Amino acid sequence: MKSISLYVNRNSFVHDVDPITKLIYIAFAILVPIIVPSFTISFICVGISLVLLAFAKVLRKTVPVFSFVFLVLITVVIIQGLFKPENETVLFQLGPITMYQEGLLFALTITLRVLTIVSAFMILVLTTKPSELVESLVRKGMSPSIGYMIVSVFQIIPEMMAAVSTITDAQRARGMETEGSFFVRFKAFLPLMGPVVLGALINTKERAMALEVRGFNSQVQKTYLYEEKTYAYSRLIRALLLLAIAGALVWRILS
Amino acid sequence: MNKIVVEGLKYKYPLSETLALDNISFSVKEGEFIGIIGRNSAGKSTLCQAIVGLVPHFYKGAYGGKVLVDGLEVKTHSIADISLKAGMVFQNPFTQVTGSKMTVYEEIAFGLENIGVPRTEMINRIDEVLHLFKIEHVKDHNPFDLSGGQMQRMAIASIIAMKPEIILLDEPTSQLDPGGSEEVFQAVQSLKNQGITILMAEHKMEKVAQYCDKVLLLESGKVVDYDTPEVVFSRNDLDVFGVTAPVYTKVCQALGVKKKGADTYPVTLKEAEAALKEMRR
Amino acid sequence: MIKVKNLSFSYKQNPQVLSDIQLEFDQRSTAIIGQNGAGKTTFVKLLKGLLKPNAGQIVVKGQVIKEQTAAELSRTIGLVFQNPNDQIFKRSVLEEVMFGPLNIKMEKSEAKEKAIEALRLVGLEHQLDINPHDLSLSEKKLLCIASVIAMDTDIIIFDEPTIAQDSNGKEKIRRIIRTLKEKGKLVMTIIHDMDFVAENFERTIVFNQGRVLADGPTREVFSQKQELLRAKVEPPYITQLADKLGIPGTILTIDEFIAKYHSVK
Ligand SMILES: Nc1ncnc2c1ncn2[C@@H]1O[C@H](COP(=O)(O)OP(=O)(O)OP(=O)(O)O)[C@@H](O)[C@H]1O
Ligand SMILES: Nc1ncnc2c1ncn2[C@@H]1O[C@H](COP(=O)(O)OP(=O)(O)OP(=O)(O)O)[C@@H](O)[C@H]1O
Ligand SMILES: [Mg+2]
Ligand SMILES: [Mg+2]
Repeated sequence: MKSISLYVNRNSFVHDVDPITKLIYIAFAILVPIIVPSFTISFICVGISLVLLAFAKVLRKTVPVFSFVFLVLITVVIIQGLFKPENETVLFQLGPITMYQEGLLFALTITLRVLTIVSAFMILVLTTKPSELVESLVRKGMSPSIGYMIVSVFQIIPEMMAAVSTITDAQRARGMETEGSFFVRFKAFLPLMGPVVLGALINTKERAMALEVRGFNSQVQKTYLYEEKTYAYSRLIRALLLLAIAGALVWRILS
Repeated sequence: MNKIVVEGLKYKYPLSETLALDNISFSVKEGEFIGIIGRNSAGKSTLCQAIVGLVPHFYKGAYGGKVLVDGLEVKTHSIADISLKAGMVFQNPFTQVTGSKMTVYEEIAFGLENIGVPRTEMINRIDEVLHLFKIEHVKDHNPFDLSGGQMQRMAIASIIAMKPEIILLDEPTSQLDPGGSEEVFQAVQSLKNQGITILMAEHKMEKVAQYCDKVLLLESGKVVDYDTPEVVFSRNDLDVFGVTAPVYTKVCQALGVKKKGADTYPVTLKEAEAALKEMRR
Repeated sequence: MIKVKNLSFSYKQNPQVLSDIQLEFDQRSTAIIGQNGAGKTTFVKLLKGLLKPNAGQIVVKGQVIKEQTAAELSRTIGLVFQNPNDQIFKRSVLEEVMFGPLNIKMEKSEAKEKAIEALRLVGLEHQLDINPHDLSLSEKKLLCIASVIAMDTDIIIFDEPTIAQDSNGKEKIRRIIRTLKEKGKLVMTIIHDMDFVAENFERTIVFNQGRVLADGPTREVFSQKQELLRAKVEPPYITQLADKLGIPGTILTIDEFIAKYHSVK
């Protein structure tokens, strides 16, 4: 079995920032555009995220994710632009197709929302080891069992992929065709699901025993292999982010 | 002082009809190294798990009798409490990886973090076991991307780094090269010399004979014999219990050569060499 | 039966695991021994077509294996995995063993017959309906052996078959290896039990850090003490005892020992 994580190991100040601050940043990037519904604000949020991703030297890694998101969003734009019930103002016509302003604006809002969220999350996911994130939450008082569960969730997809490749090896080793045309591979894929799920369940049980004897449930005060990350300016950043959220709220209430 | 006391232990797995452990009694002194032998399904793994508390707390099932681990009664204490005193390495190295760590180094740290070992000492201990079991060169590998033997070494290292007072090892050298097995037995011996109590289920009789103070022979969940390796391996009914004596003992038995001035056969290379040389004179 | 030329391999961007291996295999039963991490498992996975070489060529029975899928190759080569959990995926013992034969287009009745015969060899014929995950480790390993034997391939590779076996289980495996050999099959076994190697294999290959360190008739290999030491393996216990007593030559079995002991005396 192997494990793959989206985390990219680079040297950058973004990597140095502690996970909690990144979580607060996500809250900021989600909340502010909702509280202040203006295109400019949304653009600024996406912009900040992209700049940070670039500083973290992981911009290239975001391409597959963004491409997928765009694919979905383009369909949203088309459907909303063409068919939203409130559509009135014609924007332009292409043969029989009419694009309306209301739908397009609405779709654009959704698109920006999604982009702000995705890009903010990407900062966390690409520049933070899952274990590091969980560890800092556990240090803040979260129960280690829940922490372990979260790490496991991070690992589910890689583990499933590993299990699929293990079972595929077992199957082709004994004569089942799994290579070649799309059809062959598709046919081989279906019978995999049962064993993958069963295997995962059995693993869970054996793993639970391994955890037990390694003192996982012991009441002793835990220690940590890695020192807690303390980024020099994290307090300042956190304060600024929280201030921005509060500011947005105040603006909203006053106006 | 008795470190482990087992009295009339009976245990049946849920859904099973027969007793996996049937009225087992024995005791182990501090700093003793006990070998547990017996055929497949004799109950070796179950017995080890009964000492760390997985039996009955994890498996449930019907339980009778008493197990005392350093004075703690297993039945009335949680596995977590017992894990501070007794560590266990499981039979299958492939299924005892925690799955929450990205490298071999962090994997070994897992147990140490849980029992609250301070950071600098943690790092010292990890470096020490990595060196002891010769897996320094794979310390940054993913724990799953290892050869079978390397994984087994990691499993042993992870427990030994926790420095429990009692260590249970369930066939810990099954995938190790001969050099590696020897290193593990020597490491265990040096732990024993530091006063750590050790129980090991093992099929490699030559090693058991050379290193263990006493041998516990199990059959169908019952204790058949609990004595020194010489006495146990000199029995002429071992095959009834699905066990064979060390090669050295077999040779000497075939040649009718006993240990000088004793009624038992040689069980180690050294003893066999001495006895056979003696014979030739 | 197998020719390996200039074979090299590494996992992803890691350092080389196998470098420039040259080997030929004939009908002789062959043991592969060597240090943990030497590359033994990797080597047999390459032979089996489960991994693809970075460089070099493997020819099995005149056919370059690069041109075959692993599934096609499975009619010729069977491999018992080191970790039985990686091999087992069906819901009953019988289904598990029938999986291979059914894939190579055997009739259902014939496949069942083959499966039961193989299960009888390993002593699991009374547990046909049990879920393999409820078996113990030693039984799982035997089940994996049966699943491969049932396919009746000309080449059979065992990756550490004696793990977790008691003396009775080892005896079963010894008998299986002998029977397969008598049928003219190439039996190749990765193993760390040197006395088992000495008693059961004609040829022994020593791997060390991704290269072949020694290769030849078992007796010859076990007489090369320096090489063995370098590869972290040691001569069989019986050989060590014979050496201590100054018995000339390289003794491989208890019977040889007893015969020589008397004659030397
Ligand atoms: N999880 C389980 N559920 C039910 N029965 C079990 C379970 N584990 C073991 N047993 C049964 O308990 C008995 C003792 O098994 P155990 O695994 O302790 O034997 P062992 O001496 O360790 O064998 P081996 O040499 O194969 O490791 C066996 O009859 C076995 O079938
Ligand atoms: N999936 C993997 N990814 C990366 N490296 C691996 C992987 N599997 C094995 N390795 C490395 O390749 C080397 C050879 O491994 P291999 O499993 O072939 O060894 P082996 O000779 O079979 O050892 P053992 O006797 O311990 O089973 C080892 O150093 C191991 O760490
Ligand atoms: Mg066992
Ligand atoms: Mg291997």
